[in-house]
Amino acid sequence: MQPHTLIITEKPDAAQRIAEALDPQGKPKRNEERSVPYFTLTRDKPITIVPALGHLYTIIQEQGKRSDYPVFNYKWAPRHEAEKKANHIKTWIQVITHLAQDADNFIDACDYDIEGALIGYTILKYACGDKDQTATRMKYSTLTKEELEKSYAQQMPHLDFPMIEAGKTRHEVDWLYGINISRALTTAAKKTTGRYTTLSTGRVQGPTLKFLAAREHTINTFVPTPYWSITAQARIGDKTYPVDYEKRIIEKQTDADTIVQACSGKEGIIEQIEQKTTQLPPPTPFDLGSLQSEAYSLFGYTPRRTGQIAERLYLGALISYPRTSSQKLPPAIGYEAILKGLEQEPAYKSLASELLQKAQLKPWEGSKTDPAHPAVYPTGNKPKRMLEEPERRIWDLVTRRFMAVFGDAATKQSMKATINVNGHHFYLRGRQILSSGWMKYYKPYARSEEILLPSIKEGQTVQLTRVAREDKFTQPPPRYNPSSLLKMMEKEGIGTKATRAEIIETLYKRRYITDERIIVTDLGFDVVQVLRKHASSVISVKLTRDLEQKMDRIQDKMEKRENVLAEAIDTLRPVLDEMKRQETIIGQALTEALKKALMEERTIGTCPTCQTGKLMIIFSRRTGKRFIGCTNYFNNTCKTSFPLPQTGTVRPMRRMCESCGWPLLYVRIMGKRPWNLCFNPACPQKAERRKRLEMQGLQPRS
Amino acid sequence: MKCKVCSREVETLNQSGYCELHQNAYQRLQEKFDVWKTASNIDWKNYLQEVVRNPLTGTWAKEVAQNLLLSEAP
Repeated sequence: MQPHTLIITEKPDAAQRIAEALDPQGKPKRNEERSVPYFTLTRDKPITIVPALGHLYTIIQEQGKRSDYPVFNYKWAPRHEAEKKANHIKTWIQVITHLAQDADNFIDACDYDIEGALIGYTILKYACGDKDQTATRMKYSTLTKEELEKSYAQQMPHLDFPMIEAGKTRHEVDWLYGINISRALTTAAKKTTGRYTTLSTGRVQGPTLKFLAAREHTINTFVPTPYWSITAQARIGDKTYPVDYEKRIIEKQTDADTIVQACSGKEGIIEQIEQKTTQLPPPTPFDLGSLQSEAYSLFGYTPRRTGQIAERLYLGALISYPRTSSQKLPPAIGYEAILKGLEQEPAYKSLASELLQKAQLKPWEGSKTDPAHPAVYPTGNKPKRMLEEPERRIWDLVTRRFMAVFGDAATKQSMKATINVNGHHFYLRGRQILSSGWMKYYKPYARSEEILLPSIKEGQTVQLTRVAREDKFTQPPPRYNPSSLLKMMEKEGIGTKATRAEIIETLYKRRYITDERIIVTDLGFDVVQVLRKHASSVISVKLTRDLEQKMDRIQDKMEKRENVLAEAIDTLRPVLDEMKRQETIIGQALTEALKKALMEERTIGTCPTCQTGKLMIIFSRRTGKRFIGCTNYFNNTCKTSFPLPQTGTVRPMRRMCESCGWPLLYVRIMGKRPWNLCFNPACPQKAERRKRLEMQGLQPRS
Repeated sequence: MKCKVCSREVETLNQSGYCELHQNAYQRLQEKFDVWKTASNIDWKNYLQEVVRNPLTGTWAKEVAQNLLLSEAP
């Protein structure tokens, strides 16, 4: 290969975008070496662009057994040395090393954030042979041709080393916490149960679980108390309107009955009418957290899913870099050009044109900032492919939010009329939007419920048509859902915008939490109890937040990474010593919950034959085979059983078959596509399928 | 000693026979009885029955209330 510039990107899609933007004809050559794609083009000189696959390097234990703890020796190594399933990484690194051999100039073009900085740095250092010191850096927030060309022309003279230091420290501290505490828990559990079960926790995972457990504790010990309220309706003209009683909560039933008696069927006088006009400012531009939260409440997408969709839209050059905590839109992004781009899209044409007529385009911004990227905004590009429905929704949401921030404040008028009935006061309330302002740009996502009232005046007589007592109970606090949990983590300053959604997913995977309205399992509860008793400092929110702030200060050159690492080890060492001393007690505390979790994992649902037993996945000691059996078999009252595939993984799906209503199983066998199995032999869908296959002359799968 | 309701260990100083979690639920039940008495003029047994029936009652509070009803049954 002739001497060339080697550009490294974070993902294949980004490599293609950058190659297309930098090639004068927009048609770079796509090459492949051992299935690793890379692009070549000639600009001022030959350029090769090779992607990574996210992180190619990770941290591993330098020496010692995989179950040893405490472990404080580690090194950075290719990912395939740490993960069994990452063999393709070996080839990927070899190809990059090969392409680097003839390169005389190196450019890091990974995403401009902590993770991207670290991905680029480790590749330049380890795969390209210490090129981290001479490489330059491309910085961009969108993958549009204009911005990529500008970023290539105005490269940063070197890598962002403080950002790299911060990233390295974060990974190393997280590894130290995760590996040590997880090994301590797993070893303790194995000592008592004799079985190996991964029990993981982490620097952020632990405090997050502690939060959830605290809420679960409040809900589980909750005792509702009774109270009463009054509902009433007033007739004005020929219509009736709901009115609120002056006290929302009445603590005694007898008091509530007295009010009902005093007001039922009585007339009242409108004593006072109050009107208030308020200005509703536009919403702030999206940072990742607010985008995830809005997408959850509007479409029910989990934060992780929204993050993935936004990432795809970014790689398609439709929106700017989504992993940002900024709520600012600097003029440099070119408001006008973006709106002109949106004008080309029929759905946004009239709204964008209207905004372009404004004398000045000034966004309404939030207080949060991010030194690396602005808030999330649309690039103004049109999609080059048909977007999938979730992609289209997120793109539309980002686009409409972007337009809304340039809108005027909306004006809302609210009215409250006080009705006096026998000395008791009722309130008639109404509200309406006088001018929609930004709301029209944010339709249908702007929510404003209007209650229009008839014309009324003070002194007017009003008839109460219905007065009733309502029996109520105090409610427990609501359960967290993935979106509110993410918001809480953000508020408490634990985790980063890039990791919070993943941490929530891990809690689900580890069976510490279940359901969308999050319930902490017995296992999750007992892990928190154990950590609270024996390792309280590692689940302390305050300590986690302090550590988080120190890691942020590394990026601002106000803290040294050595100090942060030493502090992390100093915190961990006594905790791990204590856990080692108390291994048996910890193991015993976790045993019951682990047994229950294992049972739950094998429980499929209620037996359809006896309706009292539970169907379970059972392993026969005699034959060594697995099958589904009813728990009532053991007291000789039900002999229901069903066969199961003998290879691969089988687990209950917690969903019912749409055809017959029996519980479904998820089956995964190596080399085959996973499928949902209805084990009901008489399932109508199964009969239909069998018939169809027979007609095609194929053998149905058992 | 094991908790009267679940299999968790009971702390040595605890006289009620409940683990830490169920002990907290027991305390909440005792605290809230006064509110119920003022609101509806109800006695302890009826209160426990109401609490067991109520879908808003927390799992542990319900378990303790059931346990108390059984242990206080004539």
